[in-house]
Parts: sequence; C-alpha cells; structure tokens
Amino acid sequence: MTDGRLEIGPLALEVLRREAKAPGAPTLLLLHGINNISENAPFLGPLAEYGEVVAPSHPGFGKSPGPGDRDTLYDLVHVYRSVLDAIPAARVTVIGFSFGGWIAAELAVGGHPKLERLVLVDPFGIKLAGREQRDFPHLFNTDPAELNRRAWHDPASRPTGCYGIGWHAAIGEAMSDDEMVMLARNWDSLCLYAWRPHLYNPQLKYWLHRINVPTLVLWGASDRIVTPDYGRAYAGLIPGARFDVIGGAGHHPELEQPAAFVDRVAGFLGPRARLPGHRPEDRQ
Amino acid sequence: MELWNHCENPYPFVPNEVLDEAASVRASLPNKYCDPKIAARLYDEVFDEYRLCDDIGLHIVTNEHHSGINNLWAASPVITGIVANITRNVRILSLGTLITVRPDPVRVAEEYATIDVLSRGRLEIGFVKSGATEMVSGDANPMRIREREWEAIDLIEKTLTTHDGPFSWEGKFFTHPHVNIWPRPYQQPRPDFWAATSDLPTCAELGRRGIINTLLFGGYDRTRQAFDAYKKARSQASLTAPGEDRFSYMAFAYVGDTDKEGLRLGQKIAWFLTVSIKSAPQFSKFQPGAVVPEMAPAAWRTGASRRPRPTNLDAEALVGQGQMFAGNPDTVARQIKEFRKRVGGICHIIMMTRQGLVTHAEAEASFRRAAKDVLPQLQDLPPIDADETAWEARRAAAAQ
Repeated sequence: MTDGRLEIGPLALEVLRREAKAPGAPTLLLLHGINNISENAPFLGPLAEYGEVVAPSHPGFGKSPGPGDRDTLYDLVHVYRSVLDAIPAARVTVIGFSFGGWIAAELAVGGHPKLERLVLVDPFGIKLAGREQRDFPHLFNTDPAELNRRAWHDPASRPTGCYGIGWHAAIGEAMSDDEMVMLARNWDSLCLYAWRPHLYNPQLKYWLHRINVPTLVLWGASDRIVTPDYGRAYAGLIPGARFDVIGGAGHHPELEQPAAFVDRVAGFLGPRARLPGHRPEDRQ
Repeated sequence: MELWNHCENPYPFVPNEVLDEAASVRASLPNKYCDPKIAARLYDEVFDEYRLCDDIGLHIVTNEHHSGINNLWAASPVITGIVANITRNVRILSLGTLITVRPDPVRVAEEYATIDVLSRGRLEIGFVKSGATEMVSGDANPMRIREREWEAIDLIEKTLTTHDGPFSWEGKFFTHPHVNIWPRPYQQPRPDFWAATSDLPTCAELGRRGIINTLLFGGYDRTRQAFDAYKKARSQASLTAPGEDRFSYMAFAYVGDTDKEGLRLGQKIAWFLTVSIKSAPQFSKFQPGAVVPEMAPAAWRTGASRRPRPTNLDAEALVGQGQMFAGNPDTVARQIKEFRKRVGGICHIIMMTRQGLVTHAEAEASFRRAAKDVLPQLQDLPPIDADETAWEARRAAAAQ
C-alpha cells in the first residue's frame, strides 16, 4: 500500500490512511457511504487515536478508477475481500457507513479470516417492510431537498466539505468544481451498483445469522432516511450484535457527532485500542 | 424528399394551477388528472389524422413516453400495430419503443416483426436511448444506457434476421437462451433501422451501420455536425457515401394558409417546450448519467441540460433557428429546402404538428396543405453540392 493507492487486480483504488498512534493498535478498514471519505472528515483524527485507519474509495468513487464491468455489489464485496487480503495486518475491524454498511454486512456474511470485528453505521442492505412500503426513500427519485431534510439532525450544521445524503443542497455554497466532479462520479457510480433493487439485497436478511464476529450497529437517532427501528431489526438479525443510538445525529453520525461516534467505536474496540494516558473526554 | 407526421398525443387538459404547483409534469403527476373519456377522444382524433395521412401521402411516426402529460402513447408497438391496421399505403416508423427501458429486446423484435407482417412490410424501426423521467417511470438504471441500447439493437437485429432455429444470447445486459420468433418480418432481411441522436460518436456508429440518423430539433449547425460525423465515419471505414435517405430531421411544423396563420398556430406548438417538459431536478440535472461528471459544475450551477433546448420560444425565433417550419405552403417549402442545403442533404422531414394546443381540425388543415402544396415542391430537387453547402453553412454560422 503506497502513494495512496491499493492495487486490487486492475483497480488502483485511492486510499486515505491515518497511521496508528501506537504499536499494536487495531487496523480499521472504513467502507464509505454514498461519498468517499473526505480527508477533512471530523472523525478521522480522533478515530486514528484508536487504530490505523484505511479508507479506500470504492471503484468509481473519489479518485478511484471506474469499475468497468465489475459494476455490481457482488464485485464490490470481492473488491473488499481482496482489500482485506492485501492489508498487512492479521486482524482487521471493518466499519461500514450507510451504503458501505451494506457492503460490510455482505462481506461479513461471507466471512474472511482477517475479519475481527464489524461496525455498521446506519447501513442499507436489507428489505424488511412489506411490498408496498419502503424501508427508505429511493435516493435517485426523491427531491434532493427532501433527502437533505431527512438525512441530518440539523442540515444547517453539517460539516463543510464533507458530503452525505442530500449533498445537492451544498451546491452554490463554497463547493469547488473539483468537488462537483467528484460528487457526480460518486452519484453515477452509486447508481451503477444500487439502482435496482434499490440499496438492498432481498436475500441478505436470511444470511445475516452467519456473521460470527462481534458486531456493533450504530444509528443516528434522527436518521429519517433509514430509521432507528430499521436499525434495531437489522441488529436483531445478527447474532450477539450490540445496537446503539447516537443522539443529535441523522444518517451520518460520524459527521454530525464525531466525538460520540468515536467514543462508541472505541468502547467497542476494547481496552487494547486505547493509548496509554488517553481519556475519552480528551477528544474534541 | 418525404414528409412524416409525428404526433405525441399530448394531454393539455390539466388545469394550469395543478401544473404550476407540480414539481414535475412527467413521472409523478397523479393520473387522477387524466380523464379517460378525454383520452379516448384524443386517440380517436389522432387515429383519424393518421387515416387522413394515409390518404394524402404523409408517412406516420409513432413513439412512446410514459407517465406524463406530454404523451399518451404508452407503448409504441401497440399504437404502431393499430396504425398498421387502419392504414394501407404509407410507411410507419416507430421512433420508437424505449429499448433501454424494456427488459427483453427479443419481445420487442417479435412485436415489430408482427407489425411488419400486419402492415405488409410498411414498418420502419426506430431506436431512442431515452433517459430522464422515463428511467424513473420504467425503473430502468439511467447509467450505461448507451451500451444497453447498442446491445438491445444488436439482439433485435439478430432476432429479426435469424431464421434457422433458436439461438442463444448471453450479453452484459440481456440474456435469452432460446430466441426464435414467429412470425419473422415481412421485409427481408429486416425493416430499415432509424435512431434519434445528436451525439457525435453515436452518429458515427450509425454511419458505419447505415442506420438512418434523425435529429430532434437540433437546428442547423448541430444537425450539420451530426450528419458530417455520420458521413466521415463511413468514409473512414471505406464504406459508400450515404444517400440523403439516411438522414432525417424532426421539427415543429405548421403549414397555414398564410405566413401569419402558420406562425400563429405554430406558436401553439411551443407548449411542448414551455409546459410539457417541466421536470423535477432529481429527474433531470441530478439524474445519474445526465451529464458526464466533468460537465456537472456547469450543469448544476446553471441547470443546463445535456440536450440543447431552444432558448427563445417565439415561433419566428424557432423558425430562425431551424427548429420550426411555419408559414404558408411556399414559405414552408422554402424553409425546408434551405434546411436541406444547410445540413448538407436530407430526405426525411418529420413534422411535429399536432402538439401542444393545436387542435384536431387545425392539425388536419396543416396536413392537407403540406401534402397538397408543400410536398410537391420537395420532389426532384437538384443534388446537394457538398462543398458549396459546407461553405454556406460556415458563412451562416459566422453571421449569427
């Protein structure tokens, strides 16, 4: 893994990395949501205090090359199986956000010898409601202003330069052309992978019981894209999964409440992740 | 030259306050605003217009759009099959069924083969890539639609031209292990193919394949560029130069008794642009694939579409931009002949006349004048001098 790229077959994935602050700290593989993780994401620094952060951009997202014909969720799962193969660490904690949470759940169902723990943050991926009820809005068919309203506890306080669901609302503020090109790539690529069935695998719920690593399911209390009730049910299908809610956050608790998010993850990782002399209240 | 009548069978009867309030008049406008009794009357009127066209020598174009006020032709093969049955003489172009939305091109080929037999070989098959609200109402992934369209065209062509028993297709977008349609098409080896596009690489591919290239409201310059790309691709592939019969253009058209009447009624067609394409941002500029990512900043900041839209909707301005033919018969004939020269030669003019607020009676009056007084003026035209028209096109572009 050099120069911010990770070779997965023909795909040279862009990778954002934060070195671990202490020897022996766990490796944390982050699977991003509908947008690649910004280097300015407010949780990155605090999270790196608990482990080495490795955050690739999915094929077609950020500055990663397009997926070519490897354009299904099946392919994404195998991309991340290959990423786990390529990471030097013997054990890895996978943290999947939103769309990336779906990938992480699929990955964990299939299993991987390096997978040590799993964190799912407001993930998509399963169908629970009846055939005439949606579990979440269709991201491409819904008014972007409505998505923005539903995605955040307080849309006005979302961090600048970090884009989640409803990113369209930020156009015209301080958004640069480069950011718009990146968001367009991300939006197009998400559509390739997730148009239909929209952001779920109808079979996944039948196999979540195969997940055999400690699992934390985190949810923003104000998430009106995918509600906490959906999250509770999701967690209930994973043996032994812990479900926890973060107040004052919507679909992206890692962006709206980064300190609380890192606290929850740190607690889940356990004492070996903590640095000597470091206390949670020291974090921003 | 040949004249074609294209009617989208719009539904301009929804109250304006409803349309003003709606974020989109396609895809999401509730169908409670569509009175089926009015729709039935509209179908009768347009089929009567098609019967008239059959009598007077105007060919017929059908198409389809879905879930909106702009078009009641929900399934082009259904409508085309009816047209095949109620006409006897003219050619019928389906332009087309939305093959990027239809899940099974084999079924599309079978429907077209049936229509070709029904019409005793009068069918022409047109392809459109589609997009925007159609992807939503058809639940079709808006990404990769160009690749999907070509694979669908390839599969339809093989389906129409294979006569020795089942073949198998396992492509990227479509699979069908046992393709063997009955009936096979009446025309051999198959009906002519058309495609609507102004995308230059796609025009080039149409050229290499010999598919008729039609532009929709492209105006002089864009149409010329498209046709030149078609010709250049054929030349580079060492293929014969295309005849004018490979080129087509759709424009708003109204043939009046006088220029004043032509422009006045032509103005009623502009409803198509001013009202019937109102679309919510998620169905337009923010739809995945709507623009290439590098064009997103311009599109998102300005609301620009990937498709060029006329900016001035005054009928005279539309005429000036080559997007409308309107006036008395002599004027319209002169406009079409001028268009033919400026785009470097063209055979098929598709007239969008029964559009917007134009009534049944007004449409029929225009069709009669077009057939009686315009069409004869478009026969036996002298060959286009490619060098001369290229120079004139450059001069006209420079003067604008």
